[in-house]
Amino acid sequence: MDKKKNDPIGGNAILLSVSPLKALILHLICGLGLGLAFWVANHIYSLDLITNSSSHFGIFLVFLAPVLILLYSHLRHDRNQCSYVKAVGRGLLALPAGAVVNALGATILGAPVGFEYFPKTLSWSLLMSLLTFVPAACVFGSSWTDWHRVFARTKANESTDCMICLPAHGAVIGAWFGAWPMPLDWESPWQEWPICVTYGAVAGFFVGLVASLGCIIFRNRQQHLKEE
Amino acid sequence: MSKSGSEVWWKIENLGKRRWAFMVFLGMLILHGSAILVFTRGFLLTRTELSQYSHCSDIQQSPCFSPLDDQLVNHSKGCWTKPAVDRIVIIVLDALRYDFVAPSTFFEEKKPWMDRLQVLHKLASQPGSFAKIFKAIADPPTTSLQRLKGLTTGGLPTFIDVGNSFGAPAIIEDNLIYQMAKNGKRVVMMGDDTWVQLFPHHFNISHPFPSFNVKDLDTVDNGCIEHLFPYLYKEDWDVLIAHFLGVDHAGHIFGVDSTEMIEKLDQYNGILEKVVDVLESLSGPGGLHENTLLLVMGDHGQTINGDHGGGAPEEVETSLFAMSLQKHPSFSLPSETDSSSCRLDMEKRKICTSSIEQLDFATTVSALLGIPYPFGSIGRVNPELYALAAGTWDLDNFTPESGINFSRFERWMQNYVNVLCMNTWQVKRYIDVYSASSVIGFSDKDMSHVSDLYAQAHDIWLHTKEDVTSLPQLKKQVEAYSNFLSSIAALARSKWTEFNVKMMGTGLCILVFSLFVHIFTIKKLDKLCSSCYLPRGGNFVISFEAIFAYAAVLIRAFSFLSNSFILEEGKVASFLLATAGMLQLRHAIVKKTMLLEGLLFVLVVPFLRVGIELGQSKQAVNSLFLKSFPSWTVGIERSSNLWIYVADILPFLALIILAYILYKSIRHSSCQGLFKFVVVGTIFASSLIALAWALDGNLFSPSMVIVDIKAYWIPRIIYVFGLLQLLLLAISLLCGKEKTSGWEEDTIVKATAMLSAWSSTIIILSGKQGPLVALAAVIQGWCIIRLMTLEQDGNESSTSYSSPVAKSSLLAVCLFFCTGHWCAFDGLRYAAAFVGFDEFNLVRQAALLTIDTFGFSHILPVMGLPLIVACRQHPEIVQAEKRKRLFFFQLCQVYLMYGLIMATSMTLTIICVTIQRRHLMVWGLFAPKFVFDAVGLLLTDFFICFASLYYFA
Repeated sequence: MDKKKNDPIGGNAILLSVSPLKALILHLICGLGLGLAFWVANHIYSLDLITNSSSHFGIFLVFLAPVLILLYSHLRHDRNQCSYVKAVGRGLLALPAGAVVNALGATILGAPVGFEYFPKTLSWSLLMSLLTFVPAACVFGSSWTDWHRVFARTKANESTDCMICLPAHGAVIGAWFGAWPMPLDWESPWQEWPICVTYGAVAGFFVGLVASLGCIIFRNRQQHLKEE
Repeated sequence: MSKSGSEVWWKIENLGKRRWAFMVFLGMLILHGSAILVFTRGFLLTRTELSQYSHCSDIQQSPCFSPLDDQLVNHSKGCWTKPAVDRIVIIVLDALRYDFVAPSTFFEEKKPWMDRLQVLHKLASQPGSFAKIFKAIADPPTTSLQRLKGLTTGGLPTFIDVGNSFGAPAIIEDNLIYQMAKNGKRVVMMGDDTWVQLFPHHFNISHPFPSFNVKDLDTVDNGCIEHLFPYLYKEDWDVLIAHFLGVDHAGHIFGVDSTEMIEKLDQYNGILEKVVDVLESLSGPGGLHENTLLLVMGDHGQTINGDHGGGAPEEVETSLFAMSLQKHPSFSLPSETDSSSCRLDMEKRKICTSSIEQLDFATTVSALLGIPYPFGSIGRVNPELYALAAGTWDLDNFTPESGINFSRFERWMQNYVNVLCMNTWQVKRYIDVYSASSVIGFSDKDMSHVSDLYAQAHDIWLHTKEDVTSLPQLKKQVEAYSNFLSSIAALARSKWTEFNVKMMGTGLCILVFSLFVHIFTIKKLDKLCSSCYLPRGGNFVISFEAIFAYAAVLIRAFSFLSNSFILEEGKVASFLLATAGMLQLRHAIVKKTMLLEGLLFVLVVPFLRVGIELGQSKQAVNSLFLKSFPSWTVGIERSSNLWIYVADILPFLALIILAYILYKSIRHSSCQGLFKFVVVGTIFASSLIALAWALDGNLFSPSMVIVDIKAYWIPRIIYVFGLLQLLLLAISLLCGKEKTSGWEEDTIVKATAMLSAWSSTIIILSGKQGPLVALAAVIQGWCIIRLMTLEQDGNESSTSYSSPVAKSSLLAVCLFFCTGHWCAFDGLRYAAAFVGFDEFNLVRQAALLTIDTFGFSHILPVMGLPLIVACRQHPEIVQAEKRKRLFFFQLCQVYLMYGLIMATSMTLTIICVTIQRRHLMVWGLFAPKFVFDAVGLLLTDFFICFASLYYFA
């Protein structure tokens, strides 16, 4: 899906293993960030996802993006070559790049195309990019082998892989299922184009977070058992 | 299955390989066909439309007193019965529920929408008035078109009325409007344009207004109001029909319990008040409306949500308000003929309501106007409605014996008995003609029962004729006639409006059984296949793609349980196809090969979707259920010159590319002899198509010769070419010699030739979109075949084919919708049937229409399926004989799987229509879907049989 070529610098330089406690904290911050963004948009700005989805997405992005980028940049792989600021920078760069891929995918699957849908599709794909591409970009940078390993083969060697792979897949699969109610004739406002897909994506992301947390704890316990 | 067993199979197969495969597929066709036939007999009720008409002179054949016999009534314009009213004003309020009209005291609870039409309550309650509120019971399907047909023909229109009309809904049966026009009644119509579709030539003056925009509550109504009042003062008409749509539309959009609905009802109350005022002011002796009948009626009811179509009480109960403007001393019918129930309304006025069947409307109105009853009417003259008209009471000169001192009621009864006599005679005549000429008539038992009843009534009539003065005799006669007519109506209802659930269940069971047969055969072939090569160990893994393929088929099939998903079927299919493509792209990335093909496959899907959405926007114009999607039209309506230019050029480009692909394919393959001719023929045909379209443009002055060439000769040449190509292929089969090697290559050549033989005809029928869709189909097919190598894990069982076959079937569905079709009868492209021909010939035009409708989506995919097997790299099996055997087993499997996929969605469609048979959209949506699926499945089976003869030779 990504056109980036093989990059030999790719860093198995330091294998960073995340302790369960740290993982728990990271996941909690992620989840709380998501919840906070939602709460702020709804209560402080009193925006409704259904009536003004674009601005709702904007606030979502403003609150969630720093949380996720700062958090995942902390887990960057190639610590020797890459400073923290650089990791944050590539995370920010990945945001529009991932949005293009997501928008393309959505259009292929049947998102409406047209001038009045453009802002909605744009803001939705930025959000999706934040949930799928940005964490990976922060951690792996442009290392094609890592991307390939995590997204294509879905073989998680390390706990960071789990943390990236599972929520991203969760968001995509959730969005796919979220599109199902769209054709129904319930005439509810939430069946409009990006709304139920967004709900699905966010729910999928949450499930992914929980799964990755479970995965990390499970792996850690196994490792302990082995060591004993 | 043991190895020796498979050897036996193989030997049997070798004896008649072609016959063996053909028999399997023929068996499937018969199984599916019988399932669909049995189900259809229970579900799709059919009725044959007869083209006979009633005539004035016919009545002399009846045993009844005819007004023509009697010189005393010669002065009147009467034909069968003596006219009782001079003019009729019919105001149809679409979807008028019974509780809109009847006082709220008739119901358990007073709802906000009740008691809104106060003017009707006032008129009905006036002592001595000739006005009455009826509960009119409609028969399902309660859609406007069917109801108007039922009201005017007096019959029970079914979903499919077998007739001669091809597309146009115009009524060809005898009907009320025809009889009015024929007998010199001038008819004026205003409002809903459905009337004009049904009766294109019958109205003296018509003011139709478009009815399809449900969101528009006022256009039709305002148009009606604008024209209605001026006409009330004119005298150049005899029957006035005003059809208001506001209540129906308000129900569809806002529901019954809404302020819009109440506003509409209040508006109607005002209109009706004004109408009644005008009529009454002109109803004095010698006035314009001295002897006018006002009818305010609904064509059907609606549910609280504003839906209608099914047979729920709310939908079938509508109302009829009748008022005679001729004042005369009031008489009421004695209780035995009167079904009214009386209650006090909110203002303590006594209001009586009765009940009437909509079936009786046409006959009763005919009797009142004195015109012949419509030939196909099976209704009965309703005594209460008939008695409302003063003219029916005032028949001093009716019979020679009238000098004897009768009570008025006895005289009325005499007249009514005679009217019923004609009615009975006409219904009996219709039933006799119908059962003699219809394909599916009535059973002998029913017919003899009906004949007995008629004979009884007739016997009594012979007595009654002698002695018309005896009231008990008259009552006995009325009873006998009513008995006959009600048993006819019951018989007709059971035949034309009631589902036969047992038959439906049997059909469903047969279809489910066929699914198991499919699966069993595929598994059996799997075992036979495994004897052909060395299985690699026991680890049998179903790939993720195969699982998704099964899931996609099931998701699509189960989506048919919801009407919304049926409406959006094309989009659902493209969604699933795109998902399958994305999974494949992911797989390609994992394997790091075939990236280009994967990307291409995914990128072509949006183009298919453009076609699907364009088709939907066309459908939205015709459909009440679908919202229109303006998003796509935005791009097209901004058509600058450049856009038009591009749209003109694209089909030519696509044609050239297609021709080039064909040229390449015969250059590169070892294509020999006849096959080469076939492919070259298609290249020639496509240049002819290009020529025809070029002539279509404004390049040349439209001289007659050129118009003739492009409109008639080129399409006909192409049809002939297509037939010749098929003939050549058949000849090549007969001359072909048995080969043991190079089967794959051979099959590819054969399939290319077969596809090209069909394609030119299909492309010219589908118009300029044809080459574009064909190109997309070729690209997608090529990608599917190329991408198959991704999943080749040395696994030769049927599961490895499930993904490409499922994708081809999804692609086929997309192509169906992409070419501008949808599962409804207005989704057929009737214009395609007349490409190259002007005159109508049922067989020829039906064949062309079938090729256009199912060409891209059923014929081409079935013919192209062997490419999937042929292009696959098979494991190295040295023995040519074994290789060949494996090849044909797999070809069989692929066809069986394709049939299984089609049959699965058909099964779910059938389950869906069985569950939803009382759903309001059953006639609008589910039944057309069922018909399209059934025809599609049978055609697929048929073409699989055809293909098995061709490829297994």
